[in-house]
Formats: sequence, C-alpha cells, structure tokens
Amino acid sequence: MRLPGWPWLALSSLLIASSLAGAVRPRYGGILTVELSSGGTAIDPGGINTALSAPITETLVRFSSRGEIEPVLAVAWQHDPDFKRWRFSLRPKVTFHDGEALTGTSAAPSLLAALKQKYGEVSIEAGGQALVIASDHGMPDLLEDLALPNAMVLRKSESDPLIGTGPFRVTAWEPGRRLTLAAFDDYWGSRPYLDGIEIEFGAGRGRADLFDIPLGPARRILPEGLATWSSVPRTLLAITVSNAESAPAQALSLLMDRAPIVNVLAQHRGEAAFGLLPQWLSGYEFLFQSMPDVVRAKQLVSQLRAGPISLSYAANDVFLRSVAERVALNARDAGVTIQPTPNAGGNLRLVELQLESTNAREELQRIAELVKAGDGASRLDASKPEARYQFERSLLEDHRIIPLVHLRETYGIGPRVHFQPPPADPFTLHLEDAWIQP
Amino acid sequence: MDTAVSFRTKVFLSITATVVLAVWIVAAVVSTLVTQSFERRDAQRTAALVSQLQREFERRGVDVARRVEAAADSDAVQRLAVNLAGQPGSQLDTSQYFAEAQTLAQEQSLDFLELVGPDAAIISSAEWPARFGYKEDWLPQAEDWKAQGVFLKKEDLADGSALGLITVRGVKAGDKMLYVAGGQRLDKEFLESLPATDGMRLQLYRNFEPLPSPESLGSKLAASLVEDVRREPRELTRVSDAATITAIPLRGRDQQLLAILLIENSRAELANLKRYIQGSAGIVGGACVLLGLMLSFWTASRVTRPLRDLATSVREVAMGKWDTRANVSSSDEVGQLARDFNGMTEQLVEQRDRMIQAERVAAWRELARRLAHELKNPLFPLQITIENLQRARAGSPEQFDEVFRESTSTLLAELGHLKTIVGRFSDFAKMPAPQLEPVDVNQMARQVIQLFEAQLGAPGRPPIETKLQLAAEAGEVAADPDQLRRALRNLVLNALDAMPQGGALTIRTLRHDNKVAVEVSDTGEGLTPEECDRLFTPYYTTKQHGTGLGLAIVQSVVSDHKGTITVHSKPGEGTTFRIELGTANA
Repeated sequence: MRLPGWPWLALSSLLIASSLAGAVRPRYGGILTVELSSGGTAIDPGGINTALSAPITETLVRFSSRGEIEPVLAVAWQHDPDFKRWRFSLRPKVTFHDGEALTGTSAAPSLLAALKQKYGEVSIEAGGQALVIASDHGMPDLLEDLALPNAMVLRKSESDPLIGTGPFRVTAWEPGRRLTLAAFDDYWGSRPYLDGIEIEFGAGRGRADLFDIPLGPARRILPEGLATWSSVPRTLLAITVSNAESAPAQALSLLMDRAPIVNVLAQHRGEAAFGLLPQWLSGYEFLFQSMPDVVRAKQLVSQLRAGPISLSYAANDVFLRSVAERVALNARDAGVTIQPTPNAGGNLRLVELQLESTNAREELQRIAELVKAGDGASRLDASKPEARYQFERSLLEDHRIIPLVHLRETYGIGPRVHFQPPPADPFTLHLEDAWIQP
Repeated sequence: MDTAVSFRTKVFLSITATVVLAVWIVAAVVSTLVTQSFERRDAQRTAALVSQLQREFERRGVDVARRVEAAADSDAVQRLAVNLAGQPGSQLDTSQYFAEAQTLAQEQSLDFLELVGPDAAIISSAEWPARFGYKEDWLPQAEDWKAQGVFLKKEDLADGSALGLITVRGVKAGDKMLYVAGGQRLDKEFLESLPATDGMRLQLYRNFEPLPSPESLGSKLAASLVEDVRREPRELTRVSDAATITAIPLRGRDQQLLAILLIENSRAELANLKRYIQGSAGIVGGACVLLGLMLSFWTASRVTRPLRDLATSVREVAMGKWDTRANVSSSDEVGQLARDFNGMTEQLVEQRDRMIQAERVAAWRELARRLAHELKNPLFPLQITIENLQRARAGSPEQFDEVFRESTSTLLAELGHLKTIVGRFSDFAKMPAPQLEPVDVNQMARQVIQLFEAQLGAPGRPPIETKLQLAAEAGEVAADPDQLRRALRNLVLNALDAMPQGGALTIRTLRHDNKVAVEVSDTGEGLTPEECDRLFTPYYTTKQHGTGLGLAIVQSVVSDHKGTITVHSKPGEGTTFRIELGTANA
C-alpha cells in the first residue's frame, strides 16, 4: 500500500533520527528509566503503550511502518481460494519467557480467543510448527486481523500475568504505579541493548531517561538541550454523537474552529482534523477540509428547540477539559448551549481514538464500529482508497463523529539515551533499539 | 325576651373593661417603645455594616490593584510585551502564553486574570482558559486604566457569570498596549468576611442572574425589594414582622446595576419580646378579669342584696301582702330607700283600710237607697189602696164590697211584688258553691238562645237578630251548668235590655290554650268607661227598673268558677261581655 504522506514523514523521521543517533557505537547494558503521566492500569502487550514499543509479546505478522504485512512469529502462510482455510508456518526456535517452545499448540489458545471475537465460529488445528485456521466463512482479512495488538501470541500463569516471546519480559508489576521489564536473553531476534526498563506511571517530574510530554494548559519547563521525539499524528480527538438526531451535531461540526485548538490548546502538537484518518494515513483528508460556517450553523440551530447538551470528557484530563470548554464556547456563538461534564454519559462525548496500526482500512473499520456505523469498512477493497474515501465521507455526513484534531505523541529523551538504528518509524519509538551511554 | 343586664354583670363588665383597657394601653405603649428601640438598633447595625462594606471594598480594591500591578510587572508579562513589541501587527504566536494567566492568577491569588493583546483579543484567561482569541472590546476604550481604579464587573465564565472586583493595568509593548485585567470574586466568601452580627443575614443578588424566587431569598419581602431596586436602583429598606431588610444597589463602572446587597436584620428577638409582652399582658388581663369577677361579686353582694330584698318586698306587696316590711340593713341610700318603702306600705295599708271603710259605707247607702227605691214603689199603691178602702168604708156597703175586692186584689199583687224583690235579694245572698262538671259551652249557648226565642218573636217587639258564632274546638269547661246557664241568661237579658230599639245579639265561643271564652255582644248604646268600672257593683244599674244584681250575680258565678269576666264597650258601639273559664281537662 502506498501512503501519499510518506515521503514527508520519512524526511522528518530522518531529521529526528539524525539528532537522536549518537556518533558513538552502541553499548549493551543499563536500565532505561521511563516516566509516563498516565496509564499503568494494565500491562500493555506492546510493553509500554502504543507509541513506545518495548514488546513483551508478538503477533504472527505485523504492519510495517508503511502499512504492509510483514512476518514476525509466522514465517510463511498460504490460504485456499475462498480464504476459509489458512496455514501458517511458525518461526522455529522461538521460546516463551518461561522457556517453553513456541508451537502451534502453545500459540493456538490466545489466537483462538482473539479471532472468535471477530469471526465467531473459527477453529485452529495445531501440529508442530504449523497452525491451520479454518472457518465456514471466508477470512480474506485474516492477515490484517492477526497483525493487530489483540492477536498477540501469549500465555498466562498464576505467577506471571503475561508470558510472551518478545525481547522484553515482565519482572515486576505494580498496577498503576510501576512496571519493570528485563531483556529476554533467549529472544529469537537480536537481544535488546538495554538490560531492563523501569517504567513509572503517573509521574510528571521529567527526571527519567525518557518521559512523555502530555498535552494540557500547564507548560512544562524542559531542560536545556533536551531532545524530543514526536510521532506522526496518531490520536484522533473527536466528538462522538450518540443521539440519532444529526442537526445539533451538524451545527457543531460547522461551528468548530479547529485552528485555535491545534495551535493553542494542543500547542501545535497536532493537525486540524477534518477526516477520521490523518492525511499521512489516508492521503485524502484534505478533501474534507472546510472553514467554520457560523451563519449556516445558526440557521440549523434556529430550527431546533434543543435544550442544553451535555459534552462529557474523561475526568482529570485537563487537556480534554480545555478542549470541551472551547467547543462549548464555539457552540455558544451559534446559540447552542453545551455543558462540559466530566465522566458522565450524554449525547456528546469527547474521545481520544488512538491508531493501533498503520493500516488505513483496519483503522477506519475500527472507528466505524466505535461509532456504531455498521461494518461497511469490512467490505472495502483495501486496494481502493476511493472506496475508503466514500465510506469515510458517509461516516462524516452521518454526523455520528466530529473530528477535531489529529494529535501527535511527544516524548522527552534524556542525553544518555541513544538509538541504533536511529528511529525510522514515525509511528512507534522502538525501545528495543535504545541503548544507554554511561 | 328580657335583655336587662344585671347590676352584677354591669359591675363586672365595668371593672373588667377598665382593667383590660389599662393593661392593653400599657402593653401597647411598651411594645411600641420596644419596637422603636429595636428599629433604631437595626438601623445602626445596618449603617455600621454598610460602612464596613465600603471599607472592605476599599481594602480589597487596594489589594486587588496591588496584585494586578504585580502580575503586570511579572517577567512573563514583560516578556510577552517585549515579544509583542518586536512583532508587526498581530503576527506573534501567543499560544505559548495560553496558560500564563492561570499561573499568574495562582501566584497573585486572583480569581480573574486576563492577558489581552493590543487588538483586544484574549491571549490568556485564568477564569475561562478556553476563551483565548475572543475580544474584550471594552479594554481599549480607556486610556489610563490606573486612574480608573477598581470597579465592579460582571465576569463571564464557562459555567455562568460571576461578580468581580476588577482593575486593569496597561503594559507598554512598543507603540502598542498589552492589557492585564484581573480581580477577585465577590461571592459568599466575601459576604462571610463582613462583620454581620447575630440575627443579621447578608445575601448578594447578582443582577445578571434569573429573578430570585421568594424561596431562594428566604422571604417575599426580599424578593419584592430586589424587584423594586432593579426597577429603580436606590437604597431601600422594608420592614416585616419577621425582618427588616435593606437593599443596597452595587453598580459597575458605567453605573449599571450589577448586584444588590441585601442586609436582613431578623426581628425574631423583637417578635419574641413582643410575644412575651403580649403574653404577660394576657396573663395580667386574665388575672384582672378574675379579680374583676370576684370584686364584682363582692360589690354586687354588698350593693344588690338590699335591693333584691327590697324588690322581693315590692313583689309581695303587689301580691297583696300589705304587711310586708323591707329589711333596713344599712344607713346609706339603699337603707333610706328601704325605710321609705316601709313608710309607703304603711300609708298604703292605712289608705286601703280607709277605702274599705268608705266603700262599705257606700255599699250600705246604695243598698239602702235601692231597698228604699224598690220598696217605695209597691208601698205607694198599698198606701193608696188602703186609703181607698178607708174612704169606701164611709160609702155604701155595696160600693165598699166592690172596692174591697179590687183593693185586696191590688194589695195581694203588690205584696207579691214585694215578695219578689225580697226573694231576689235573698237569692243573691244565698249564692251556693258551684258543682263542677264538664259542660259543652256551645250546647249551653244554644240552650240559652232557645230560652229567649219566644220572647224575641213576640208581636210588637222590636226585631233583634241572634247570631251564634261557635267554635267547634271550644269543647267543654268545668262548670256548674245551672249557675253558668243563669250567668249567660243574665248577660243575654242585659243585652236585650240594652237594645230597646232592636239590634243584633251575638254569642261567640273561642278557645285558646287551656281557656274557653264565651262572648255576649249587643249593638246597643254602649257604656261609658265610668259605667264599665261600676258595672259589676251589686245594686248598681243603669236601667230604670232593675235590682243591679244581674251582673253582680254573673261576676259572682264566674269568680266561683275561678274564671274571669271582662267588658268592652264604647258609647254608640255596643257592649261585649267576655267570660273565660278553664277547660274541663285543664
């Protein structure tokens, strides 16, 4: 799949990489400390979160940074013409963190649980390093499904909540407070440079080797010479509409002045969102671009007899609160009363939708399911961006979701942290490539 | 109905009314004085609070000005001013200052703080962070904001509006001006900082809020006060039983009414005191009423007992006990009255005795006159006849025999007449006691009329019409039928005698309650009142030939039957006699 925004992203990543790549040779050893302002309620199979990758578990296949399928634990696969029966050959000499070898039998339970969520009746036959996935219905998108985070190959035990095959393994876990990872010496690929990673959740001191810079009105004073890494826009900030009545949502969509949200509230760490997928992922988002139309919004509102509308947002998230207040302010200009409300149900909800992959079709389908707009995306031809455009357009015109901003994730990186090879994936920062200079 | 009020009641009412009125006047005066005293105290407290409010405003104003000044002098604002000065037009990206106002407001303990650019667009807002980019067009209107001082202002917030004590400072940014507008909220905390005393309540109504309900303000009075001050902003004070409320308008920079401060002084203490006074007055009044009752009984017993005794004596005298004497128990006016009463009764007894004596003499004289008159008439023919016999003795024997036969016949006739007269007098003297039995009065009336039918129909007699108007319900009376018949016959005879030229004789029977009345009416000449008075006196008659015993006998019969007889007559209108007797079953 070709992504129109890719050349620009590649160039920017190279620029970032040049600043992060040290001139010295990488060294093994050392513990990387990480501070994250939120999260930590559950162990992310990816290790930390979607933008910071320290894999504990792995999938059979994955999306490349270009959105293409590439092998991970599966080295080969075939399918029948009807896509009802798939045969995967598992990578040899792969072991779980507890020393058990990866076989079709050990991989099958977690895969079966993941696939049943989507396909219902599905069976997996395991034999040695082979794995056969079969269903009465065709599964043309099975590879994309297996590349998603919920199709991780993993096991659980009473003493170990997460046993994977990734380059890092869990050594300590204090929910909501701390997660400690250690390098998995028997990893089938290259052993990470780091001996371990200590992640502290809910901290905002900025004293760790690597920390997130959250969005919000409070300005953080960053140390002099601190390097940062920003992802491509990978979080959609949007308003979801639960009520079938589209007129208030349509008026709100017309009212939204996204530039102040991007420039001031998000401090330029994002792009105005007119589509559901960012421009770099879809390539056609610019076609949805429009200017605020207060006059038309007022006309729509004048036909309504709507009372105050509640706009809920996640409590304690100051950034979301400030965005909700700005939305309410914009709405007031057209005579619509919107009441920002933390953590409450309501017709409108301010949500952050994170991209889980670089696959446009998968992400569009996921958003459609989220806003309960049917599963039309599953019928899309992945090779036809025109169809995705039409589908996304229909989603937007249905006014069940109003995109506001595509947000980047930004991390501060301490001076002793280096990457080998330099970060080339603008979607994810791979900590398995990080090393520490003493 | 007898509505006369007794002397004791009058005394009681007089004493009670006097005492209650006195107590009420005292209570009213005390209550008025207390009310005035409380109102003076409330006014003083309100004035003190208003004075304190002004001082608090000034103090807070100085404090707000100092804090806003400090914010304007802060590094962040100065850096923003320098950046603004270095950028032409509105090219400066002010997004990095988005949170600056919140930080500065926190540092300076300000509730409101906005950094506003030369184009009046908000760069940063502490009270409503999302409002960046919106215009505050009122800011560039004044040139010297420092001279404007501190003023009240309505501040728009995300969740409504608030009232703030605001001041503005301008910061030079080259040839442009950066505005720092900040202040503190005037809210419940501000009200709590004012030195309200016990029983005093402060409320702040913000004029941009919906009109408050009486429930939200605590009373209808407060709500009406707010409405009046909104209509015409000026200080107003109103008083109710529950509280005295003073409303003070609070104005903004352009003299617009922004809020109304309500100072409510509870009158609960006064109400309690008034209730206490009224309760005490009630108790005292009640005690006085009780005392008045006792006093009135005592006074009445002292004053009215001799009067009651005297009244009893009067009633006994009226009943005929002429020897009754009032008890003289004191030497005051009442005692004198009793003595005078006794003197009066003694004189009355003497006069009665004298009258009885005189009447007795008069009766004997009348009897003698009647006897002389009745006897004189037959005696004269006797004398003539005897004288004729004497003269005939001197004549021939044949003539004498003839005269003798005629004279003896005349003598026998006249002697019979004399015997009749004597018999009548004898009958009156020998009236027997009645033998009572049920007598149908209607039948009796018919029988009496039948007795006279022959006489009335005699030829040559003037026509007299007889009418019987007998009530069917008249029934029976307890009477001696012979005596009653005789009485009715006498009345009919009397009526017939009264109509020598003819007329109408009417006998009417009536019944009311336990009495039966029989009326005998004629259409004769009638009687004068004087004749009516003497009509039943024995031997009194208005007729040329009568013994004067007829009506006396009638009265005697009626009296023996414990009935009454009355006569109604006027000259020229006839006469009606009415006998009332008790019914047979009475």
